[in-house]
Amino acid sequence: MPKNITIFTTSTCSYCPMVKRYLKTKGLPYNEVNLEDHPERQDEVFKASGAMTVPITIVTKQDNTQEVVIGFNLQKLAPAIA
Amino acid sequence: MDQTQTVEGRGSEKLPHDLVIVGAGPAALSAALYTSREDIETLLFEKGAIGGLAAVTDWVDNYPGFEKGISGLELSEQMRKQAERFGAKIELGEVQKIEDQGKLKKLTTTEGDIYAKTVLIATGSEYKKIGVSGEDEYYARGVHYCATCDGAFFRDKKLVVIGGGNSAAQESIFLTKFASHIDMLVRSSLKASDVLIKELVKHKDKITIHLNTTTDAIVGQDGKVTKVIGTDKNSGQKVEFPTDGVFVFVGLLPNTKFTEDSGVELDERGFIKTDIHLMTRVAGIFCAGDVRSGATLQIASATGEGATAALMIREYLETQERGPLPQPVVGHPQLY
Repeated sequence: MPKNITIFTTSTCSYCPMVKRYLKTKGLPYNEVNLEDHPERQDEVFKASGAMTVPITIVTKQDNTQEVVIGFNLQKLAPAIA
Repeated sequence: MDQTQTVEGRGSEKLPHDLVIVGAGPAALSAALYTSREDIETLLFEKGAIGGLAAVTDWVDNYPGFEKGISGLELSEQMRKQAERFGAKIELGEVQKIEDQGKLKKLTTTEGDIYAKTVLIATGSEYKKIGVSGEDEYYARGVHYCATCDGAFFRDKKLVVIGGGNSAAQESIFLTKFASHIDMLVRSSLKASDVLIKELVKHKDKITIHLNTTTDAIVGQDGKVTKVIGTDKNSGQKVEFPTDGVFVFVGLLPNTKFTEDSGVELDERGFIKTDIHLMTRVAGIFCAGDVRSGATLQIASATGEGATAALMIREYLETQERGPLPQPVVGHPQLY
């Protein structure tokens, strides 16, 4: 089980609820950061992912390594949270 | 063992799903509402957003029942809840292959293999790429296809929107919430509805429309988009548009890759052909919505097609169970 999962979202993004829904089906807790409420964190997202998009999911594993998943991409998200 | 079988108790060869719907956009959710309500056990598979392209549309003004319009996300959410209320199940995953095995259809999915008596393909379409240099290089780093997802990254920035149809117009108007200015590059003339063109005109302080202007290249520096180079078709001159980002809305591409080798027939543009009952060339595999050849690419017509497909699927399933009804014999009406 990952140590921490943070999802960066906006309120108009339709793929963001999909990531949240998927994590819920897997029983995994997550933190959500809405970039409309926290525009100051956009640079952090860009530095971590190299992308100006949401959702961005940062999975911190037990050994503190991180995986960054851009968008709702099950082929990357599923192994990242395994 | 795949998850679907475990969770639902259906999906094996011995106990196949009544109906698997590939996709969860308006056509799919409408069909699921109808079939679930009639106790046809229904499972939907969605690899992207529930609601499909409707969900990524900022605002929907032309779906009946909403006098003031409704956000695409909210409309999709309402459709999802309505279908789930009657028992439709939505699985997050991707259908990778469909194999016709006669009365059963085998679906290879990211969640394992499942079997179904019928399949409805309602995978819709996705936005096309424009195919110019820089587009792939700056994907998601200045080149975008979803305004509602990525628009917030361009607060007080300059943008270029490529396209002249309804989506380009609608999303340009949405992007004015963030951008300081938008150059809209339209290859020929505006194809958007009159209502949207009037809305564009209302935003003329922020949106400049460049008709007869091609997009030739997206150029960047230090990992960020800096300008778009195009051609003014009237003068033949090269034109440059300094920008921080580009949003592309130049048409739709049907999602049909997984139908290769399924026996389903595509038209010359890659959309799925059906008969008047919305059944494909393969008995038991139906198709509805934007991915269907001849579809009118409207949310309202997609939901209508979904409902029609559901009724046809019900008829098909009943026929499979009881066998075909005897044909009326002319001259002997008393027999029936």
